[in-house]
This record gives sequence, structure tokens and C-alpha cells, in this order.
Amino acid sequence: MKKIILCLALALPLFAAKPVSIKGSDTMVIMNARLAEAYMTANGGTTLQVSGGGSGVGIAALINGTTDIAASSRPIKTSEIDKLKARFATTGYTFPIARDGLSVYLNTANPVKELTLAQIRDIYTGRITNWKQIGGNDAQIILYSRENSSGTYTYFKDVVLLTRDFSPRAQTLQGTAAVVNAVAKDANGIGYGGAAYAKGIRFAAVKKDEKSPAILPSLETVRSGAYPISRYLYYYTRVKPSKEMKSFIDWATGPAGQEIVGKVGYFPVK
Amino acid sequence: MKLKLFFAAMLFAATPLLADDAQDDAQDEPTPPTTEEVAGRVKGMSEALTEVRNTVDLLSKLKVTGYLQAQFVEDERSRNELAGAGTRNFDQFSVRRARVKFTYQMTPSSRFVLQPDITSSGVTLKDGYVELTEPWTTWKHTLTAGQFNWPYGFEIMYSSSSREVPERSRVIRTLFPGERDRGVMVSGLGFNERFNYRVAIVNGTGTTQTFDANKRKDFVGRLGYSFGAVDVGASAYRGSDLVATSTSSNGREFDKERMGVDVQWATPIPGLGLRGEYLQGKQAPASGTSRTQSHDVDGWYFYAIQNLGTRHQVVVRLDEYDPDTNVDDNAVRTINPSYIFHWDAHSKVMASYELIESQANDPDDNVFTLRYQFSF
Repeated sequence: MKKIILCLALALPLFAAKPVSIKGSDTMVIMNARLAEAYMTANGGTTLQVSGGGSGVGIAALINGTTDIAASSRPIKTSEIDKLKARFATTGYTFPIARDGLSVYLNTANPVKELTLAQIRDIYTGRITNWKQIGGNDAQIILYSRENSSGTYTYFKDVVLLTRDFSPRAQTLQGTAAVVNAVAKDANGIGYGGAAYAKGIRFAAVKKDEKSPAILPSLETVRSGAYPISRYLYYYTRVKPSKEMKSFIDWATGPAGQEIVGKVGYFPVK
Repeated sequence: MKLKLFFAAMLFAATPLLADDAQDDAQDEPTPPTTEEVAGRVKGMSEALTEVRNTVDLLSKLKVTGYLQAQFVEDERSRNELAGAGTRNFDQFSVRRARVKFTYQMTPSSRFVLQPDITSSGVTLKDGYVELTEPWTTWKHTLTAGQFNWPYGFEIMYSSSSREVPERSRVIRTLFPGERDRGVMVSGLGFNERFNYRVAIVNGTGTTQTFDANKRKDFVGRLGYSFGAVDVGASAYRGSDLVATSTSSNGREFDKERMGVDVQWATPIPGLGLRGEYLQGKQAPASGTSRTQSHDVDGWYFYAIQNLGTRHQVVVRLDEYDPDTNVDDNAVRTINPSYIFHWDAHSKVMASYELIESQANDPDDNVFTLRYQFSF
């Protein structure tokens, strides 16, 4: 009997609940951490491990089987779905977790208040290089951008730059927080990133074109689609979510999770 | 009292020395830099940082990936190794593939790719091409020039590092030896990235020969469509081979044609994927032939791949190749069960048995392969 009990005791760790890993978007990492903390507090049995690295890194981890959930601030690419199909015979599962107004950051001292999409595109592709060209001070525009593994980078490039190349003068920074810090310290800086990172900077009101009204990112404007640069933030799973994963994702998209989404600075999906 | 006077005298005598030390300390203390000096230093650091960033940015455009396959093969043909001339041992350890792929993406619209294969057999160039992608449409039409995979079917373009059995099916290995050729290709992706096309003009001689034997160039292409879980493709190859015949040592042109379809299905059964491809065509005869026309060939393969969790894969591939459909009982069929254990994201171990059944005079030629692959 003692032997049986000993064997069971030794075998227990094998049956212990495996942590659910969430890896990917740096834009989403704070939100993911807050959601995980709150969920684990409310549901003692599940362990969630959150890490960043960028949307591309998260989806790559999903493809090679090293994460359970990929957090991505851009839709998964066709080429990535092809890899999932080839390796795991699945097209993956998509869960929109939040909406985000992709904000354009300006220094609080910058007299420029609003920008059209075309102006933002021209600034980041290097056609506009001085603030005075768009009604600002006579000063060179300092561009802050993200690394190319970032979903924010990809989304901005696809939607705002219309897949054109970034200016070689754009400085690549690791994470949205670094972009915000840089713009906060640089009167001539401009950056872009999630609406949740707003400390020390000001959002530019964005106009779809010259004739359109200038819109600031807010719950109403992002939800209604009036703000021209809004996107979903996603969780992707390789397989149909396990009981633990499903419970967490259901909770994150439910009232309690969406309240945290709002507190972090993003917008609920429902 | 005398003692106090003595100490006072000593202190008095030492005062100039202490004063000198204090003066020295004051001289050693660095003068606080001026605002201009600090600004200059910061500017200098900023310039240095910009230089470093420029260098890092350039390096980040270079992507290096690769894989190595070390294996042990036990081949039934080795059983006759003592039978005399013409037989040899096939059981051996080897490095099957060792590829390093260099991709330099200078801009989103231009790319350079070089992939040598370095094994005990020597160094060969696998891929070597440049790509230009047009930036004006969502199709991203791309021009590729150099040496690349024949854009035909599924298995040719599916990387050997991802394939679930050690080698490609017999029909592909025979009709597309080396899987690559030299030429130019146009490709694109449209209709919400569901449709893709690749068409190429190539030498038609593959990569085993340095020169193209004939003036004629070959056409090869594939059209693909994705329905989500199901992907389908139709491929065609049309060209010719210059082959020396029994009546003409200079050779004559023989038709070289292939047409086929391929399907890949991520089934609703968790982790189960199915793949298949069928092709038929005309194949030039071997050198020295007395034939005057190409003969008809056909073949197919079918994969069933079952994932068990994230680490285990059980696979069966069936394939058949008929080297001349007008001749009876000459097809070769292979049953290839395989098991793969994914140690981590970089390492996997494969055990595979290739059961080869020839319809006529089936020889002992089955092959067992145990392979370890590391990729990065």
C-alpha cells in the first residue's frame, strides 16, 4: 500500500496542470499580464505565463509548438497559416480580444495638432521632412518606429504607408513604451503605437483625407470606425482551445476581462 | 605641558605640508564640464549611436537560416556486399543535407537568396536567385531570376527540412531530379491571398549539368487556390530534352511534358492532415535509345500525417511511379511509414522505413533511416 501511495505521489507532478503560455505582441503584453493576473486570482487552478517579443515572434512560437496562445496586434498572414497547416494540419483559431486605435504620438510642445493619413504616410516615407511643411516649427522631423517583428510595425506599414518603405531615417525602437519615451523627450519627434501608452505625449487627431474631420482615438471613435486607424488585437490558438485555454479566453472576452481591457487603455470588442 | 607644546610644534611644522596636500587635492579634482562640453559629448555619443544603429540596421536585413540532417541508413541492398564487383555497402552514417540559407532583404521590393548545401559529397548550390517585387498592387507580382525550385506541384517546393519522410516520392525524384533549374519566374498572390500563381521559363536541364544542352527553353507553372483548410493546385510543364540516340550521336529532341493536380487538406480530425498529388506526362528515353518518341509516364503520392500533441507525428506515405504506362507490371510502389519526435523548436528525430515494391522481380531494397535534424 505504501508503495502504491509513493508511486502516486511521484506521479502527481506528471498530472499537474500545465501552465498555459501566451506569447507575442509587445503592444498587448501589459494587457495580457493584467488579464492573466486577474484570471489567476479568480481561478486558482490555472497558471498563465505571459511573454512578449512581437506578434511575429508569438505566431512563430505557435507554429513551432512552443506557445499555447499567440498574442498578435495584426491578423495572421497567409504564409503563417500555410506553415500551421503544413506542421499541425490546422488553420488555427482566432479570438479578437480588444480593439485598438493605432495612435500617432506627438510631443506635447509640438504645435501640430492634426494630420491626414497622406501626411503621416509622407512623413514616414521621407517625403515630408520638416514640421514647417505641415504648419509646425522649422525643425527636422525625427521619426521613431518599431522593429519589423512587431505587429504594430506591420499594421502601420500595411494600412498607413500602404506597404511602402519606411524612410531610412526612421529610428527603430524596441517596444511601444520606448517609442512613447522617445517622443516625450523629443520636441520634434513623432511615433506610433497603441492607445494604451499615452503618458507624456499627445495623440495627433487623424483625418482620413483633407476634407474629413480630424478624429482623436477614443472608445466611441474606435468602436464606430470613425477613427481611421483602428485594429483588432487577437489571440490565436493552434488547436481548438483546451478547457483551461477556453475558460481563460471566454473570461477575457467577457465582462470582467473587457473591463481590464478598458482600464489598460484599449477598447472592448463587445 | 611639555608634551602639549611638543604636539603644537609638530602641528605647526606640519601645517605647510597639509596645506600642500589640500592644494594638490584641489588641483586633482576635475573641473565640472561646461554645458557646451556636455552638449558636445552627448552629440558625439548620439553620432556614435547613429553609426552603430546604421550598422545594426544593415545587418538586420541579412537573415541566416539553415539545417543539418545527420543520419544512419540501413539499406537491404547491402546484403550482397561480398558478392563481388558491382556490389557495395549502403549501410552508413552520413550528413544528408547541410544547408545554410542567406537572405538579404535590402528593401521590401528586392531580395537576394543564396543557399549552398555542404555535405561529404561536396558543396553544391541549391538556391541562388534575386527577386524583385512590384510595390503598386496587392498582388505583389514578383520576378525571380537565377536558380530556384521548379514551380510545380506541392512536394517539390515543400522544404526537405519540413517534409515528414526522408526523401521525396519516387515520381518526383525521377521526373524532377534535383528539384531545381535555372531561369526566370513570375509569381503573385491575389483574391484575398487565396489564389497564387507561379510561371517560369527555365533551361530544362536541372542543376546537374552546367550548360543547357539545347536552345529550346521549357515552360513550367502552377496555379493554386486555397479554400481555407483545403488547398488545390494544377501544374504543367512543357519542354524538350536533347538525347543522343542509336542513330544520331548529336541527339534529337524528345518531348518532355508533365501535367498534374495536387491537394492538401487540414482535416476536421484534430491534427490529421492529408496530401496527394497525381501527375502524368511524356518522358524522354535514356541516352543511346533507338526510340523516336518520348514514352508516357505517370505517378502519384499520398500522405496521411497525424499529429499527436505538439511533439509527435506519425506519418504514412504511399507512392507509385510507372516509368512507361504502355508496359505492364513495371511500376514501383513504396509504402513509407515514419515517426517524428520534435525534441524542441529546433531539433527533431525521424525514424522511417521505406518498403519498396516493384511489380516485377521485387529486389531486396527496403531502406530504414534514422535521422536527427537541427534547424535554426
